[in-house]
Formats: sequence, C-alpha cells, structure tokens
Amino acid sequence: MRADHRGVLLARRVFSPGFFSVTFQAPRLARDVSPGQFVMLEIAGRLRPYLRRAYSVADADPAAGEVEFLVKTIGPGTATLESLAEGSEASLLGPLGNGFSLAGLGRGARVAIVAGGIGAAPFPLLLRAMRAAGVAGDLYLGGRNAAELDFRARFEGLVDGETVLSTDDGSLGEKGFITGAFARRAAAAPSPYARLYACGPMPMFAALARVVEPARIPAEFSTEAAMGCGFGACLGCVIPGRDKPFVISCVEGPILPPQKIDWGRI
Amino acid sequence: METRLGPLHLKNPVVTASGTFGYGLEFTEFVDLSTIGALCTKGLSLAPHAGNVPPRICETPAGMLNAIGLQNVGVKSFLEEKLPRLRELGATVIANVWGDIEEDYVAVVGALEDAEGLAAIELNISCPNVERGGMLFGNSPAATASLVARVRAATKRTLVVKLSPNAPDLVESARAARDSGADILSLVNTFVGMAIDPVTARPRLSFGTGGLSGPAIKPLAVRMVFQVARALPDVPLMGIGGISDLSDVLEFLAAGASAVQIGTANFRDPGVSGRLVDELEAYCRDRDTTVRSLVGRAQRAPTGGEVPGGDAGAEG
Repeated sequence: MRADHRGVLLARRVFSPGFFSVTFQAPRLARDVSPGQFVMLEIAGRLRPYLRRAYSVADADPAAGEVEFLVKTIGPGTATLESLAEGSEASLLGPLGNGFSLAGLGRGARVAIVAGGIGAAPFPLLLRAMRAAGVAGDLYLGGRNAAELDFRARFEGLVDGETVLSTDDGSLGEKGFITGAFARRAAAAPSPYARLYACGPMPMFAALARVVEPARIPAEFSTEAAMGCGFGACLGCVIPGRDKPFVISCVEGPILPPQKIDWGRI
Repeated sequence: METRLGPLHLKNPVVTASGTFGYGLEFTEFVDLSTIGALCTKGLSLAPHAGNVPPRICETPAGMLNAIGLQNVGVKSFLEEKLPRLRELGATVIANVWGDIEEDYVAVVGALEDAEGLAAIELNISCPNVERGGMLFGNSPAATASLVARVRAATKRTLVVKLSPNAPDLVESARAARDSGADILSLVNTFVGMAIDPVTARPRLSFGTGGLSGPAIKPLAVRMVFQVARALPDVPLMGIGGISDLSDVLEFLAAGASAVQIGTANFRDPGVSGRLVDELEAYCRDRDTTVRSLVGRAQRAPTGGEVPGGDAGAEG
C-alpha cells in the first residue's frame, strides 16, 4: 500500500564525484516495494526544491528495514540529497508505479538488462528478484567515461551473467553507445534473450526499440519523465502513446513496453 | 467548522483546487474524502481532451509552472466512472467545467444537471494553457458576463466562477461574474509565466508559457482576495494561491475568503487537505472561535495606508 513513509538517512556511499547512493531506514517501504517501483522524496520544509523528486528504489532489505537509492547529482533536488546529513529525515512517498515483471520467465531463462549511466538505478533489486526466480541476465552498462561508471561496484556479486561495459570515449569497455553492444549480441537468431529490461534516456530507449521490436524480444523500459506528484494527479509526466494520445508515466508506468510509446512523437 | 457560501453549505472551509486533485480518487490512500469541505474535479469538457504535449511542468522557486492543457476524461466518463465512486466515499464534489466556446460550457453543465451528488459547478474561465476558451473568457468582463449569464440560465445548481489573476481588472471581472449570476467566486487561478532553459534558450514548457502556482504566488493572491472582498463584500469567496499550511489558511480567511482551495501543495503533500481540516478545527477549539468569525478580519483591521491597486475601496 502507498503511504508517506518517514525515512532516516543511515549511510551515503560515494562512487565518484556526483555519483552516490543513500540508504534510508524505512521498514514498511522496504517490505512493500517491488523492483522498478519508485518513491517521491521530499526533504521537509524546503521551498527549493519545491516539488518532490522521483527516485527508483535501487535496493531494499526487508529484514533490516532499509531502502537504497542510486543517484547522480543533476540539479537542486539531487544536490540536496547529496549534502543531506546522516540521521536526517526525509519523507518517502511510495511505493509508486507498476514495477518490472518477471512473469512468464521460467527457471533458466536468460534476459538482458541495459542501463544508460545512472539509469542503472533500479536494477540491483531486479537482479535480486531474478536470482530468486532462477533467471540469468547479462548487464549492459554504458556511460560517458570510466569515472561515470565507478558505481558499477554496486553491482558486484549481483549479476548472474556477463557484464558488458561501454563508454563514449572508450576509457572503459567498448567504445560507443551501449545500445550498439546490446544490438550486436541480441540480433543473433534466435536471440539469446527472452526479455530486455532497460533504463536510461529517451534516445537510448528509441534505439533499443529499433532492435527489440523487429526481433520480437519483449521489453520493459523504465521511463523517466519530470513528475510533479508521482501518483496520477498532476498529469505532468505524460509520454506520447501509440494507442492513446498520452500515457501517464507515473501510474501507467514507469515501466512500459516500447509498443505503448509513440517514438515518432518523442 | 460549518461554512456557508451563499447557497453552498460545506462541513468545513477546506476545499481542494481543480487540476491539483485529479478526480479525488487518486488521493484516497492519503485523505478521507468525506472529511474535507469539498473537492473540485479536474476541468471537465464535453469530449475527452488529450492536453498539451510534454514537457508540461517545470519547477520554479517556491512553486511550479504547468501547461497541462486541461487533459480530462470528458463529462460522460466522469459521470459513469468517477462520480458514483465519489458518492460512495462521501465526498462533497464541485465539478469544474471548461470549454472552447460558450455552447461547450452550456453543454457540459447540461450533462451534469441531473447528476446525483454534485454540490456545485465551478466555471473555469481562467486557464492560461489552452489555445481557445479558458482564460479568454476571464480576461474580458464582457466575455465573463456573457458566459456566466448563459450558464446561469442553463442550470439551477450553485455556480462558482473561478477568476483569472491575469485579467486586466480583477474587480471588474468579479463584478461581471456576480452581476451575471455567479453565487460564489473562487480566486485565483494561475499566473501566466514562463521559464527558459538558459543553455538552449528554449522555453522549458512545450506550450511556451504556463501557469505559475505554489507559495510563490501567495502574496499576490492574498492581495487579490482582499481587494475583491473589499469591493464586493456580499459575494462569498474561495481563496486560492499557494496555500500549504494552517497559517496560510488563516491568512486567506482574514483577507475575506469564506473558504480556501488547496492547490499545488497536494502534489508534494497528498495528505495536506485532511490535515488542514484537523488543524483548523483544533485552532478554533483552542481559541473558542468559529471559522465564520475568522473571515474578513483583515478587512476590519486598520491597513495602515491605502490598499494599492485601483478601485479596491470603491464599494468597501
């Protein structure tokens, strides 16, 4: 059930400048959240940032009552979180959104996970759920340069498969976009992948859609749109839809198959 | 806590503002809808409306800009799918209505006329984010008068008219709405604003401009409520603009509003409306006072000078 949870900041782990994770004590949320769901986070009493910010839950430990977010500092909201003192409180409205689905994947199935930069945020929890379900997966992780991928340390021991890295400048892994690395492997007939999970910027999704739609690989994209509320009230986070004008990202998503999105209007 | 606004009797003066509370049903985990004074629905049109292309919102200091463009399910779907559930939940519902032309408003109001469980109609003549209709009716007293008169003739229901702060003379617009049959005025809707990406130099909203809301507009809205209350002391008002906490509620009541609408605060704090009811009730109990006696206190207090802004004192 959705609620406004009080969370206490327990720890921050910095991977590289501007890339960090924060762990909050929030027992009910840790118990209720599913992979791919998000919260709207607010640090009380601030007029700037005024609106809450959406963060995918990166990991949850129901036994310890902890939830973790993987964050890149990009604006005033993330900057606030970067400097929040340990022991401080935040309100965590959630869990929100639909979450990833493992339905239809039997033990031994193999999937691909493609993440553009900090788009990797929701995947630790998904990887745990995959392991519990006996689903293997290759992790494709792309970034601008090696320093922006230092947070890959957070994925150590979580991936039951290969980890493929790429950087725009070639400073780590393959040189080029991660979508290219994925396409080269996924395009084999038959495709090695029963499903694609992806999170990153819209152009990355558009490139992935061009790969998986012809290859008929089912895909789940964790879409990101600026959200005013996170629970379907403001209608600020819509994405152009294929079978209706707009999809409301926060409640109909954020996890959407590419077939629901009108890529021509993105 | 009982609040009377002309023919409209509410259990308390805390109402949620149109466009910030969905159809109420999005909030049921955070607010017991039967406890708030009323909720104003998302603006309803005759046919479902898709709204503007994204980006539709952006944050600004102490507030936000939006250009949603009145996306809504249409009046038929509202009546079939939303209103019955709201009735079950014991909500007091004010249906917000908009259209491109006068006939659209009349048609939507007609469709609502026999619906069970509606407390009032609120006419949106002040949305800045559509190409036609909306604010165009609110920015000219003559257009306001014509529209309100036509809708007045088409419905027996209590009629609220939601005013635009972008009108050249808000008091004139208020007077036009009152003289044409509005029972209650709600004010204010959002202020037309704009935000530009400093790097790309492109507007942050696809519509170009948007409506500014949130605490940033509160002093502007308080001044407008004060002014209209002074000019038209017999017209019940609902004050709107950046209300986030109890002191904001008290401020708008003091300015002359008989009720308040909570808007953008619902986005960041979905339980705020229910909590404000409790806090206001506790405030009145602790001070052995009533909501009614809190209304218009600032009108009776010495202002220490002229109230700026034209003919504010003309009828006051």
